[in-house]
This record gives sequence, structure tokens and C-alpha cells, in this order.
Amino acid sequence: MCTHNSINSGKEITLTIDGKVCKSTFGKTILEIARENDIYIPTMCYLTKVKSIASCRMCIVNVDGVDGAILSCQERATDGAVVTTNSEDLYAERQSIMKLYNVNHPLECGVCDKSGECELQNKTMEFGLAEQPFTARDQSRPVENWGYVSYDPALCIMCEKCVRVSTEITGDEALQLQFGGYSSKIVNTQIDKNYSTLGEAASVCPVGALVDTNFKYTTNAWELSKIPSACHHCSAGCQMNYEVKNDTIYRITNNFEFTSLCGAGRYGFDYANKGVTKDSEAFNRAVEAMKSAKSIIFSSQISNEEAYILQKIKELTGAKLISNEARAYQKFMQAYSSVTGKHLYNGNLKAISNSTAIIVLGSRVNDDAPMVKYHINMASKWNRARVAYMHPIEDVEMKNLVTQFMKYEAGSEEGVSALLVDTLLKDIDVPKDVRAFLDDLDIGNLSAGSNIGEEEFELLKKSMIKKRDFSLVIGADLYTHPRATQIAKIIALVEKYTNFNVVCIPPSSNAMGVSLICDLDDEADEYSVGYNAKANFTLSALGDGDLDMPALNQQEGTMVTIDKRLVPMNVAQPYGGYILNDIANAMGIGARYTIDYTKSLPLEKGFRGVEFDALDDYFTATGDEKRGYLLELHETPTEDNFEEIEELDGFDGAVIYNCNPKDQFSPFTNLCSTIKDESKLVGSSQFAIVTKLQDGDSVSFTVNGIEFKRLFRIEPSMKGTIAINPIYDMGLSTPLVSYYRFNKVQIIKEEKKED
Amino acid sequence: MSGIVFSTWQDELIDNRGKSSDEWVETGFKLPETYYGDTNSKAFIGWDGVAIFDEDIDAVELASQYAAQYQEYSEACGRCAPGRWGGRILYDLLDKIARGEGSHDDISHLKEIAKTMMTTSKCEIGKTVPKPILDLMEHYKEQFDTCIDAQVPSKHYNGNTSYIAKVTAPCTDMCPAHVDIPAYIEGVRDMVFTESLAATRQTMPLAHTCGRVCPHPCEDACRRTNLDEPISIMELKRIGADYETDHEIPWLHPREPKEPRNDGKKVAIIGAGPAGLTAAYYLALEGIQVDIFEELPVNGGEVAVGVPEYRMPVDKYNKDIELVLQMPTVSITNNHRVDANRLKEIYDEYDATMLGFGARLSKKVRASNENPKMGGYWGAISMLDKVNLWSKYNIGSSASNELKDKVVVCVGGGFTSMDVVRCSIREGAKKVIMLYRRDEKTIIRNTTYEEYHEAVEEGVEFIFHSAIEEIFDDGEKITKLKVNRFELVPDPNGGRAQLVKIEDGDFEIECDYLIPAVSQALDTQILPEEWNIEMTSWNSILTNGKDYMTSKEGLFAAGDCEYGPMTIVNAVGQARRAASVISRYIYDGKCTLIDDEIMEDHLNRLKVYDKNEKITGWMPGIPRAVSQKLETDERKTNNKEVNLGFSGEEAISEAERCMRCYYISMVAV
Repeated sequence: MCTHNSINSGKEITLTIDGKVCKSTFGKTILEIARENDIYIPTMCYLTKVKSIASCRMCIVNVDGVDGAILSCQERATDGAVVTTNSEDLYAERQSIMKLYNVNHPLECGVCDKSGECELQNKTMEFGLAEQPFTARDQSRPVENWGYVSYDPALCIMCEKCVRVSTEITGDEALQLQFGGYSSKIVNTQIDKNYSTLGEAASVCPVGALVDTNFKYTTNAWELSKIPSACHHCSAGCQMNYEVKNDTIYRITNNFEFTSLCGAGRYGFDYANKGVTKDSEAFNRAVEAMKSAKSIIFSSQISNEEAYILQKIKELTGAKLISNEARAYQKFMQAYSSVTGKHLYNGNLKAISNSTAIIVLGSRVNDDAPMVKYHINMASKWNRARVAYMHPIEDVEMKNLVTQFMKYEAGSEEGVSALLVDTLLKDIDVPKDVRAFLDDLDIGNLSAGSNIGEEEFELLKKSMIKKRDFSLVIGADLYTHPRATQIAKIIALVEKYTNFNVVCIPPSSNAMGVSLICDLDDEADEYSVGYNAKANFTLSALGDGDLDMPALNQQEGTMVTIDKRLVPMNVAQPYGGYILNDIANAMGIGARYTIDYTKSLPLEKGFRGVEFDALDDYFTATGDEKRGYLLELHETPTEDNFEEIEELDGFDGAVIYNCNPKDQFSPFTNLCSTIKDESKLVGSSQFAIVTKLQDGDSVSFTVNGIEFKRLFRIEPSMKGTIAINPIYDMGLSTPLVSYYRFNKVQIIKEEKKED
Repeated sequence: MSGIVFSTWQDELIDNRGKSSDEWVETGFKLPETYYGDTNSKAFIGWDGVAIFDEDIDAVELASQYAAQYQEYSEACGRCAPGRWGGRILYDLLDKIARGEGSHDDISHLKEIAKTMMTTSKCEIGKTVPKPILDLMEHYKEQFDTCIDAQVPSKHYNGNTSYIAKVTAPCTDMCPAHVDIPAYIEGVRDMVFTESLAATRQTMPLAHTCGRVCPHPCEDACRRTNLDEPISIMELKRIGADYETDHEIPWLHPREPKEPRNDGKKVAIIGAGPAGLTAAYYLALEGIQVDIFEELPVNGGEVAVGVPEYRMPVDKYNKDIELVLQMPTVSITNNHRVDANRLKEIYDEYDATMLGFGARLSKKVRASNENPKMGGYWGAISMLDKVNLWSKYNIGSSASNELKDKVVVCVGGGFTSMDVVRCSIREGAKKVIMLYRRDEKTIIRNTTYEEYHEAVEEGVEFIFHSAIEEIFDDGEKITKLKVNRFELVPDPNGGRAQLVKIEDGDFEIECDYLIPAVSQALDTQILPEEWNIEMTSWNSILTNGKDYMTSKEGLFAAGDCEYGPMTIVNAVGQARRAASVISRYIYDGKCTLIDDEIMEDHLNRLKVYDKNEKITGWMPGIPRAVSQKLETDERKTNNKEVNLGFSGEEAISEAERCMRCYYISMVAV
């Protein structure tokens, strides 16, 4: 263990702010401690979730015995300091700064998107400025359209918040400062990439300089009502608000001081099942179908309460519950728990961002789980974390974070897991049987089979010397692997015998909730009912089934996030049709509202029996998350039995990897016109040679029995013979594509039409 | 005309206006009264005041041009509200007055803005710019009033006065390579590590190296010392360099390298050490062809074969070397010893030649019976060559064959001797003793606190105030040493304390090896006798210390061969200047300095750091971060890098302590 701490962080201190005695720890800034104690210090550039920026200078305070004005956002408080946050002089300086912020600031508040929620407007009033006393020669500075967001340099006050978000949070590193004194501005160095993550940069803009292009000039901010909810596109379950007027969602906002969203969360809101009315005939057919169903096939992008209803139906009718992704995850986590003795993994996102060394295994994490990527990025920026990225395909979008890319052969995940665990447990006391299992590993053979050299593991080990706070991120590639349960047990040794935080990313939005609530089955029988999945009778929120269902932003409910937190979701759009609870009621499973089930979620799985309406949904002033509740951790019986590592058939030749592009997660994001559509097969030029394809060819191929027709594109940044194939656009078939993510396929080239 | 008319520099108020020449007061500061050659300065204006050398000065234009230069140099700033808009308004208002369109309201606005800038600006440049402007507005008030009252332009408005400005910082000024230290620290603070590295490489290509083994003279000029402790400047440099390696990003240059010129001009460099590599890099950035001739099979000079792996891992140094050698116009020939004849050939063939061959002859300890050929007598340079060639490159054989279980005595007190004793420990010596003439405090000052303490921890025995009087041998090898002891006797007259030999203090040490590491000398055989190259009194190659040309036209020298054994950063600084001069010399045959270099020298002479200055606006008592080191047991038997560098938290915390002490100064000529 490393206890090196040369900067005394964490030492207890006491100081006085405006006469109030404040206890805190060394390392915190004066501003942080003031906020902990409800003492107001004005700021223009302060953003809690990033390191202090210190560009606005509004937060100056006086400290007894120290000459000059002290910058409270940057300066750490020392023991015994006596701080004054306001005085005539300080007020005058702050007022002067506001005068400077207003130099030539265009007086176009009437048509500015930020009006009504603009920090410049607020502070101008707070400091009583009725005019712009200073002016300078003006410059011509045209508005720049960057795609998802637009930038108006004339409105920009150069607080640098957006740049910090781009660097420290999202890690796209697209935004940079262009210094030039009075002509300083923000530049987008990746304009051609049109990063949706710039929405995060726009969300923190205190003025109207950086705004969502689609939202621009559509409404006044104050006419929108905020509906708090959680984003369910992936398992991160990020905090968000639907901002609604006249039953239309205009935009998504969030509590940007403390949380973030990805592009899908920010822009993927237009997927509600609209215009649905109650079709009682279809409803009756649905009830009959459900009664006679032998199987219910469903996507795990449903609420906990809906999952609970399905479980109730299973208990009533004996129907099998089929949700492939959730089932794979359930089995993986059960095997994992059989080693750790805990029913959930120990890690969470925050632990990832606090790490100094992170290993990612089995996930194309930038696409699969943007919030995990953000938190890896935070660790990379704040802690200079070592990031080992283990995957068969390199990801250029991760290059700025990754310090060691460890490429392995598709299919060799079991061997890779064993090698990794052997490396991490090398100098650690473990029980005899575990040691025997590790000692028996044929390292040379596994190394050859996976194509990761032993020296790469040595380098990994070396890079972790004297580091503290480690994280291991496990991804969906492993859950569907034919040897998933054995892999789970091997990986679980890391949690059990080291101090790693382990996070097993749930493979879809509520896979964790579903896997905890439902008694899932492996194989479907005819006759089947589907819920957002193709079946003999299909209930669909996508609008193309036998009976319409509400999308998740049209109903109340909860989900379980990657942080093992149950969070509430609320209604943002009206829905006029029948819902799953109506079917359940017709079958005699009675509850007035779906959310009546929230309190009934199984206690033995860690749910806490809290009513939906009693769930909190906010952050405290200092950023403590008060959303829903954290699941309780339960002990599970353990058994240690490890099998010999099995070799899979090689994945040589052309291989296709099921992976959605960034911002696309499901048929629901696919419905959103505001997100880029990238449903094409992309591969390297090497892949093109192996498959005899050319850039722009139309191809077809079959994965897990589902036929894909795709445009093939060569991606110059890719290498190797694995191409990436999205599945989000397959509608009701999407949940059916949930087997091992790597597949050898035969690619058929479609005849080109003569032009 | 000479002498100072008026000055507020560092609160030394001199006002000779209207006085007869015998009443004139002289300044105590080395202000740049003469700009360059026979060009006189009219005025010097900067962070700490204004000095006027010409009675006919246009004070209004001077003030307005100073504000304008601040605007122009805003790439160093423009990052806080007061600096960004304040600077602009300062200039706009001053220029309005200078044009003859100003009002007295503008004067009061100027004062208001000046106060806000001085109180709340992010860095010193914004805080200090208003000071000399306010000085001029006060002491040359009549000129401002005339412009306003008569609505006329200032007296030489748009005349032929040139204004030459330069941004510096106390640390940057003190650094021999003049690295833009606040910029690379800001890169760390902003977590844009590429920008940090790019800032370093503007004047320092060896970022890995000088982020590890620089004695950091800059830290002695860190203004933070006036408040609590200096910033750990050196260690923050490593962050950007390590980022480049960790993420395998393409080579990061401070500016886009120019296309190869292919114009037939070419420069020869003798020696691929820090000086040679640096000169090659900056010439190559200009697209100029450079051929390096290196005697050793490995590149990097004394840092490669002298500085041990545990201090300077060779794979990191190789990154610095590769940065230079991969430049399209750089070529290198190894195993190529240049002697006097070969140097003549090279000199004739090339448009300019730069010597950077270092100082690689170990000096004697001057004891009686000192015989360098005697067994057990091993010069530090050749001992370290052997250690490093084996441990880093697998060339030769392990020095543990010689040193294992032996008693090693080293005479020294500088970095080289520290390397000798700590390597001896690592090679398995039974006992390692360092003899040093002076005391503990001095050895720490000459090296670093860490270096000395780590050596002690590893088991090196230091005997201070001692010197070898006589060496004994058995005809084949050294057997023992007779050592005198000294004590420091204060001078009763208050002069420097004297080292006085203690009678009966002598003792003997039985030993197997004596490794002298007292100093190094140049191997001057390379210099053709008929060239009569002028040397310094300590027998290094003489230049004027500004353009680095030797007494032989077209022959330049930089690094240890010019200065005598000194630091890496010194070699880098000299070589960069030499490269700049050479880049012009090969075209016009003249040795010239550009304005930026002239100003650099002026500021260095004036001294930027003021250790008595009181710091305001910063919380004192924030601890300086100390990087983590390997424990003694983890390091003393191997060559693992001892210093693990800052954690991210420490790096950012340390960067936040930096006060960004940028200053802008300007000369009117």
C-alpha cells in the first residue's frame, strides 16, 4: 500500500469564514469550504466538476495577515485562516470585473438563447450595473456552426469552462483556447468530427456563446418546464431533465455542476411513441396472447417495475422469460458472486475516476459506455492514471487516454483473463487452490493463443508500481463468451484478493435491474410474446408491433445503474394507449399504477422497499448524489472450482464485431433524428482485402440468424481483420442479436447497379 | 548623451530632469542604457518601473506602446477577465490620448482599470503592466495634459522611435536555456500535457532529461520562495515528456518544422551530447542540414555514458535523442573520432562547425604518488563509461567484475562523484567512501538535497573536510590512502572562513579503488595547433558568451567544451543560441543576435528575480509537492529509476502553486 502524500491532503483543518468556524480537510479550496458551509462567494468561471479554472477572478477574498486579494477557487485553505468574503473593496473589484465582462458584450439579450438563465445577465444585475462604462474598438467575429453546437465568439466571456469539460470530462479534447488577449477565443480543433460530446461543453456555457444548434432560436428558456429523470439509453442512468413546452421536448439539460451526459443522453430524446390511442381489440388480443404465451421475449431496456410485472406473469402462467443480454449478464454475475461472496461487484464510476491505474477488458468502452470513458478520462487527467486497454480492436478515440494497448485475439478472452489475473495476483497471498489454479496455467501457451506477450503483462505490472486505487472495467464481450461463467470466476479473483474496484458494465440500459428482478430462462419456446422484441405477438414502444407500448420517457418507473443505484424516471411525453400494467391487471395481477411495484422490488436482491414517490432526485449544494438509493450489498454462498482454460477455435479471416457507434445504443436512439445515423459496416483496408470488398460496396451477411444489409466503409484509422457492425438499427430484432460479439461471417457482395 | 534622466526602477526614484550634470544621480541597476553596439536606448520600461535615458522622450507614446506590446504579447496571457479586457482598454485609452483625442475622463478611467488589473489579474504580467504606465502618468503628467488640453498628438507620435519588447519571468531568466517555465507549468495545470511539452521544447529539446536530472537553477529564482517554498519546477517538466511517451503521440514540436532547404548549406557538429543535439534540433527546425560526428557508438554524450540509469533511464533519454535524430535534415556518424586533422577537413567542407565535445578527462586529485596507470586508480569518467555502457547498452562487461565486494574511495563533491559512489553501491562494492574537502551544506548546494540523502540512505559513507595526502600501492595496485582532515576556521577579520589542516588528524583508509571525480578537463587535442584557438583561464574554449563563435571564424563552441564542466541545461542554452547565430551566419557570414536575444541578455544582466520583493495575493503555507521515490531496499541493488515522478494530484497541486510571474519589458530606441 502506498501512503505517499507529500501535499498533506486530508489533514484536518479549522478556519473561520465571515466569522463562522468551519472544519474541513486540507486540500480543499476556500471556495469549496465556503460552499460546504452555505457561504456565498460569487463566481463566473467556477465549475464544481472540474479543477479550478481561475479565469474570472470574481471569487477573490481577503485573508487576515495575507496581503492582496486571494483567489478562493484556487487557493487551498490553511489551518487557522481567517477569511472575509465580502467588503466594500471586494465588492468594488467584483463590480469592476463585471464592467470588464460587459465591455462590448452585444446587447442582444432579446434574441439570445441564454436570456433568463445567463450568468452574465444575473451577475450584471447582482452588481448593479446599469450601463457599459467601458468600450474598446470592436471586432468582427462571425458565428461558427460546429454541428451539434454553435459558437458565437462575440458573446464568449472566455471563462474556459467548455475547454475544461472537453479536456477533463468528455476527453474529446476538441476545444482549445486561442490566446490573443482581447481577441482570445475558443477553437474547435476537431470540427470535422462533429463530436456530440461538445453538448457537454455547451451545457456549462454561462452565456449564449456555445449553444445547441438545434435548440437555437426555438423558445425562451423560461417557458420550458423541467422534468427530472434518468437517461436510460445505457446503464449509466445519468441524471437529466427533459425540458418541455406544450408536450414537446425542446432539449435535455442536466445538473452540469456535478454530472454529465453523453451525446445520446443530450440529443437522443425524440423517440416517444406518439399519437397512440387505446385500441381495445388489439389490447384484448394482447391479453390473450400473454395468457397463452410459453415465452416472453424482451429487451432489457425496460423499467424495474415492468420487469417485475413480467416476473409476476411468469409466476402466474409459467411462461419463460427470455432477455438474452440480461440473462448472459445474470449468469456472469452469478458465477462472479460465487467467488466474491457478494451479489454485486464492488466498483462504481466515481472509483474509476479516482484511480491511478485502470484496466479495461472486453469493451469498446468509448462506444459501449461513454460515462465509463468519461470517468477513465477524469482519472487520466486528474491522476495521470495508467490505462491499459485490452481488446482485439484498437480504438483511436481512446488513444489520448490509453497508456498501454494490449491487443488480443478475438475468442481468447478466457486465456487473457487468466493471464491478467495471474499477473495481478502474483505477489499476493491467495488460498492454495487458487494458487494451484494459477500455477497450473500454461502461460506460454495462453500467451501464444491470445497473442499477448508475457512482456506486455510485465510492462502492465511495472506501470502499476507504487500506484494506488486501481480499477478493472469489464465489458460485454465477456458476458456472451461461450466460457463466460469460467471467465467471471477468474475475474472475480481480482475483486476478492486485491484492492481493485471492479465494474462489470451492464450490457444494456437496465440489464442489471432485469437480472436482479427476473428469473430468466435460456431458450424460448413457441408461442411467444415480445416486448420491444420480435415475437409471435409483439408489444412495442417502437410503434411497429401488434400493440403499442409507451417509451420509457412516457412512463414512470425506475432503473438500476452501473453504480448499483436505483434511480427514478419520469414522464416527459403524453401517452394515450395501453401499458404493460393494463395487461397484467387484465390477467388478475392487480396494481393501480406500474410504480406501485417500486416498493415491492425484491429485498433479497438489494432493493430497499421504498415507494416511488419517496425517492429523492437531487444533488446537494456540494454535489452529494441524492438520487433514488444505492442497492444493499448481500452476501452470497461461495464455491471455488476452476476449470482448465479451454481453447476456442481461432477467429482468423474476416470477423465482425457487434458494436454500436458512439451515441447509438438501441432502436430508441435510432428513432432520434437529432443523432447522427451511422449504420454501416466499417473495417480496415486489411479487412477489405481479406473480404475482397471496396469502400462503398453494399454487402449482406447473417449474424445470429439475423440478416444485415450494410454499406461497407473503409476506416483508415482501423487495423486488422475485424470489422465493426452496428445493431442498434435493427428495430425489434436488435435484442435478438445478443450472442458473443465476435462472429465469423460470410459476406456477400451485392451486385452494383449500373448508373 | 549618456546617463539616466529619470527612473522609478525598483522604487529607486531618480529624477535628473533639469539638473546640471554634476548633480545627476546614478542608478544602482544595470539598466540597458545602450541597446546594442552603438545604438543607445531612449527608455526602458518594465514590470518594476520606467527608466528614461533621453530627455526628449515621448512619455505618452511610450506608455501607449507599452500597453500595445502587452496586447501583442497576450499569447502569454489573455486568460483572465481583468488582463484580457483591461489591457485592451488601457491601450485604447492611451492611444486615444496620444492621438490628441483624449479627455481627462480617460485619465480617471485609466486609473480605475489599472487598479483592477493590479489587484485581480491572473498573472504578474497583468498585475505589473499598469505600474510604469501610472508612473509615467504621474511624473510626465504635463505631456499627458498637453495632449488632452490642446487636443494634439504627443510630441513624437508615430515618429521613428522603435519599441522592442520581451516577455520573461524570474525563473525563465535564471534558466540557462530560458525555458518558458510558467507556460509548461500552465500546461500541467490545464491538463493539456501536449501544450506543456510544446512550451518546454521552444528552447529545450531534452525535456525528458531536464525533467529528471537538471540541478534546476530556476528554483533559486522562483518568486514563490518569497512566500513559502519554490515550485518544484524541474519535476513538472517531466509530465509533458512522459505524456508523449505514454500515449505514443507523434513528435511534438514547438512550431511546424520548416521544409528542408536543400540549398547546399550545411553545418557540422562535433559531439552528440546535449549541446550537439540541441544545436542540431534548432537548426533542423529551420530546415538546415546538420551532420553530427560522434566518437562513441552510442548517442547522448556524457548524459548517456555518465549519468546512471537509475537517475536517467536511457529509454527516456533515447526519446529526446530520437526527437532530434529523426528530423529530416539531421544525420549522424557514430564511431567517428574527430582529431585535429579531421576537424580541419570538416571545417573546410562545412559552412559552419560547432564544437560540442564536452569535457571528458578526469582531473587528478593531486596527492603524492598519484599514478593514473596504477591498478585501482580509475578516473570517474571511464568508470562511469564502463558502468553505463554495460547497464544501458550491453556493451563491454559489468563493472561488478571489478567492484564487487571491494572498498571504493571517491574524491569529489559534485554530481559526477555522486554518480560514482551510488553506482559503486549498485555494482556490489563492500564499502563506499566519499572524501570531500568541504562540508555537508556545500555538497548539497553543489548537487541536490535528494542526491546527497539518497546516497547516504544507500550506504555511502561521507567524510567531510578531508583530502588525500598520499596514495600507497604495492607496485601493482593501490593499497591504502593517507587522508588529511581539515577544519573551518573563521577569519577573525570577518573574511571568508579558511580550511585549516588539523594536526594529528590524519588517518589511513585501506582500499581497492580510488576514483577521482574532482573535475573534468577538455581533451584539447582536437584543436589544430595552428588555429591558435583562444582559451579561457581554466582552459576551455573562449567565446564572448553571446554568439558562441570561437576565435576562429565560423567555428563555434557550446556546452562543457566552452564553459568547462557544467550542467546539461547550460549546454542546451548555449547551443540553442549558437544554433540561432549559425542559422544566420551561414548565409551572411555575420555573427548577429536578434532583438529577442539582445533583450534576453539585457534582462539577464539586470536580473529579473528580486528576492526581497513582497508577494501579495497568494496564500502562504501551501506545501511543495515531493515526488515519490523507491525505498532504499528497492533501489540500491538495481538500476530502477529512483524517482517515480509526481502523481497526477501532486502535479496539479504543484502547478497551482505557480504564480505565473510573467513580466513584460520594453526598450525604446
